Amino acid sequence: MNVSDFILNRLQKKYTIDKNIDIDTLNYVENGYVDSLGIIQFVIEIEDQFGIQFTDQEVIDPSFKIVGGLIKLVERKMMSNEKS
Amino acid sequence: MNTLANLFFENAVLYPDKTAIWCDNESITYSELADLISQYSNYLLAHGIAYRDHIGIPMNNSIESVALILTAANLGVALVPINPTLPLDAIKTAFAFGDVKHLMARRIFFEECERLGGLNVDGRKFCLDYEYESTLPLADALKMSTERPIISEVSGDETLIITMTSGSTGSPKPIDLTQNNKYQRAMAHISLYNITKEDNILAATPLYHSLAERLVLIPLLIGGTSVLLPRFSPNIWLNCVKDFQVTFTIAVSAQLSQIAELLSSPFIPKIHSLRSVVSSSALLEPHVKSELIEKLKCDFHEMYGTSETSTVTNINFKQSLNQKQSVGRPLPEADLRILRKNGELAKTNEIGEIACRTSLMCNGYYGMPEIFDKALKDGYFKTGDMGYLDEDGFLYFSGRKKELIITGGINIYPFDVENCVSKIPEVSECAAFAYPDERLGEVVAVAVVIKENCTLNKRTIQVQCARNLADFQQPHKIFFVDELPKNAMGKLVKFKLMEYVRLNCLNE
Repeated sequence: MNVSDFILNRLQKKYTIDKNIDIDTLNYVENGYVDSLGIIQFVIEIEDQFGIQFTDQEVIDPSFKIVGGLIKLVERKMMSNEKS
Repeated sequence: MNTLANLFFENAVLYPDKTAIWCDNESITYSELADLISQYSNYLLAHGIAYRDHIGIPMNNSIESVALILTAANLGVALVPINPTLPLDAIKTAFAFGDVKHLMARRIFFEECERLGGLNVDGRKFCLDYEYESTLPLADALKMSTERPIISEVSGDETLIITMTSGSTGSPKPIDLTQNNKYQRAMAHISLYNITKEDNILAATPLYHSLAERLVLIPLLIGGTSVLLPRFSPNIWLNCVKDFQVTFTIAVSAQLSQIAELLSSPFIPKIHSLRSVVSSSALLEPHVKSELIEKLKCDFHEMYGTSETSTVTNINFKQSLNQKQSVGRPLPEADLRILRKNGELAKTNEIGEIACRTSLMCNGYYGMPEIFDKALKDGYFKTGDMGYLDEDGFLYFSGRKKELIITGGINIYPFDVENCVSKIPEVSECAAFAYPDERLGEVVAVAVVIKENCTLNKRTIQVQCARNLADFQQPHKIFFVDELPKNAMGKLVKFKLMEYVRLNCLNE
């Protein structure tokens, strides 16, 4: 499963994201798709699925909470994994 | 008695054009909702769903979910709602204990189940959104007649909801709530908080918990408007209260802490519509209470209750100025006793186990009458919570007898977390316990002893938990310790764990 599909599936485990929402700029934390209870599992599942590990700095960065930003970050980390 | 479905359909005749429910930018009027319930009812009947059948449903907050609750009431069938993020094993256990015959779920749930090896459900499967192989699309119900089918057997004593005590994979207790239970609980709260058809009532917790079920049923039984939050975040909550002129809500204390935090930031819209807010599940910090009262400008209540008993006590903050930290006096429906360990009655101001007799009591644990009987003493349900009554009959909560972690209002059994972590080969033993948290009240912490000559990092534990536990069960704190604190008999002393990790894991 590609990064975008995995993240969108995971985000919609509880709630379907409305078709009219611009997914790229969606803040999934502010909009309640992942809450404070669920955030740890969400992060670990992404790391587990793609064999990557986020740094504390990456997780704190505001772009981490935006779907588009998170997808780009995961893809970037996978590419640098492949190179190394 | 008047059944839930009858009451709703009567209101649909009285207020056909009034908004019944608002949820996620969609709304439905009473007459449209009545039509939808009739169509769902006809569709389920056409596909062989029979009186007193049980339907499992990973439930999300939507107009359709509310319509399905009333459809179940109309047909005399039961729903077993579950948290969609539960791990597959816990879902299987819940469905087995809830005697589930049929399944209703979103496509993503069916896909995930299939990927993990499937669920054994022999009856019909309905897909709530889209279409999915070997399931019936619920959307087809919209082609059915809008004439309400009447099932003559429905009397009100049918099980309507079976709700599990947490997501335990061990032995959950399936709490059996009949239509009469739901009706009486709704009526008790309507009277307690003077709720009328003019109220716009917000339900902001998941519909697979009984609190939100009650909050959506209350307005629909008296002609009010239900405002159902699709998902919770403090921002969504505030905007929703403002946009839909919400007048009444019951929220869990962890939500209110986050709302208070947001209210103290600049550029927050002023809220004028609320007349009453009730906090449930845990006592609020006094500064949070003050912040909420100042900013929301409304009556503020706290309550104490359990899923088995519904609300037991209630207190208005104006009273609690004199009765600091009390959870209030019993409702007219309830009577309280404080029991000593030997079962005798405790004296005034003496701490013991809180026990309650109430006409709002659930119908028992489904299929486990002997276990429910054991939880009763002379008709009083032993809550597993500790507390005392003062001279004026005010109840004070002082802790839990049951080993339980309550995070964001959800109960977690430490055993479930320990069972998962101890499956890691390098773990010698472990203990899960409650760790205080400003936003969520408590979070799950786990203390782990590693086997000799083995190494283990936090990440392995996190991955194991992410794969095998529900989202709310994830440990937020992991501590490695040389040994666990035990008493002379070698029994783990859980209440010492917090202090123990503080002393031994200063750098965590």
